[in-house]
Amino acid sequence: MWMSPIKKYCAKNPAAVSAAGAALVALLAVGQVANAAQDSRPPPLPIEPTDVVESLPRDYPPNWFLVHDVGFFHMSDGKVYILDSAAETSSRAIKGMFNVSYMGNLAQSARRGEIYATEAFHPRGTRGDRIDVLTIWDTATLTPKGEVMLRPGKRLFGMPERYAVVTLDNDRFLAIANFSPATSATIIDLDTREIVAEIPTPGCSLVYPTGKLGFSSLCADGRFMSTELNTDGTLLKQTRTDSFFSSDDNPIYERPAVIDGIAYFPSIAGLVYPVDVRGKVAEVGEAWSLVSEQEREQNWAPGGIVLIDRDDQGRFYVIMHADAKDGSYQGGGSEVWVFDAVKKQRVMRIALREWGLSLGLSRGKNPVLMVVNPMTMSLEMYNTESGEFISSIDDFGQETPLMMTGSK
Amino acid sequence: MNILDKLFEKQTRQLAQRSSRRGILKGLGSLLVGGAVVPLLPVARASGAEPVGRPVEEGDPLSCDYWRYCAVDGFLCSCCGGTANSCPPGTEMSPVTWIGTCHNPADGRNYVISYNDCCGKSSCGTCLCQRDEGDRPMYRADKTNDINWCLGTASAAYHCSTAIVVGVAFEDQ
Repeated sequence: MWMSPIKKYCAKNPAAVSAAGAALVALLAVGQVANAAQDSRPPPLPIEPTDVVESLPRDYPPNWFLVHDVGFFHMSDGKVYILDSAAETSSRAIKGMFNVSYMGNLAQSARRGEIYATEAFHPRGTRGDRIDVLTIWDTATLTPKGEVMLRPGKRLFGMPERYAVVTLDNDRFLAIANFSPATSATIIDLDTREIVAEIPTPGCSLVYPTGKLGFSSLCADGRFMSTELNTDGTLLKQTRTDSFFSSDDNPIYERPAVIDGIAYFPSIAGLVYPVDVRGKVAEVGEAWSLVSEQEREQNWAPGGIVLIDRDDQGRFYVIMHADAKDGSYQGGGSEVWVFDAVKKQRVMRIALREWGLSLGLSRGKNPVLMVVNPMTMSLEMYNTESGEFISSIDDFGQETPLMMTGSK
Repeated sequence: MNILDKLFEKQTRQLAQRSSRRGILKGLGSLLVGGAVVPLLPVARASGAEPVGRPVEEGDPLSCDYWRYCAVDGFLCSCCGGTANSCPPGTEMSPVTWIGTCHNPADGRNYVISYNDCCGKSSCGTCLCQRDEGDRPMYRADKTNDINWCLGTASAAYHCSTAIVVGVAFEDQ
């Protein structure tokens, strides 16, 4: 092995090297004392601890969002960002983050200070026996405070849904929609963190909270199945409503906006079906149109992935696009239309700066509309009173942030 | 140009020699295609006089515009080391899937297409294609592509989607 001449000298004369090193240290020390005597700079910074980790308030402010980046290109590395929509810059908007593996779904309980996420894992990344869990995240520390083991391969694994994981009975129970592709719901007691029931919902998907302690599911034959639970979370009764749409001819979206116990389900053609979910069984009301006759001639229709949400003022927001055709119903749109749910009237048209793919609303008196721009995957925010663009949050490491939910 | 074109315009330019992929994200194909269940599909069996000549189809399986991809939503296996009807090396084809009905312009027939997913490796990441024709929300399991159909496979990891001809569709009477 080649050695430089200096290395060779040092190797042969270790005593000389040691003496030279001591002399150098002494010289440096003298220099520092001299500098201190003449130093006109401010005092040096105090020594800082190295083990500080931030935490968040247990109860999130109303302008915060949970933004789920499902990681479509890296599904085992999904992320949920806690974002402050009132922050002045994108960098300041990020309050924290936690991971969700393999496109799970979320629910939040403000009462318990918890966020629930269905996850899947393979012990060797993409290999090894699949493990499914419900992870319980602490809203303040963003650390997992518990988990419930789920039966592998059952929970719904697909594009994010607002009604795939929901709390029931004032957050006493959690319902998880399954699709294996057999459909069912897993009920978890959030006090004991144990599974108390797995309830088949044959031919019917998702879990829309219904009544005090129950849920409804949307069926392929155009009806709801409403499931009532006993006080211990087990099955009491299931009831199928009359069919009210054809999944072949006039399908509806499975994504409603729920306002004061009424779930507003848009149809792909531009109607909206109000469904009363305050009682034990879903009750379908009379549909009304989101579009005028003139707009219908221009083929205006809803479009997008998470295309609808509501604010706390009784309004729901839908992404709309013109020139709708077969295959465009999940493609997003150029505008967001805002409707007064009770008056059945459109109250605003918001022309988006860029195309919109998904949307979400913050809670409280002055809600912010957040829209995903699919070109850059940035989050664009709009004032819901004026419809004006506010700012965008981008370059925060996002890949496919498809679900935005106003924090509770 | 619609949004599906816009979204991946940049990437499409880069891969113009290979692909005209369009689409947002999402994924994945879907309905029972195991041998035992194929007879359940709306497939017309050959009967009567046989047509003459060879079966024909045309188009580029590397392009999102390829006729078989009318209802697809995912990464095209043709761009990932597989073909329109086979999985890339080392993956596993999902036995459970969903179907679409696509028109073959070369012979004027409609075919039932099974979009079996290939599973066991992470997202292929190229040739993302979303056409969604005839697609339905997830309450119509047989027609939904919003589900990860890597069900019944050893791994839940979605890699890409095939588009397999499983029969001639019934013609409208």
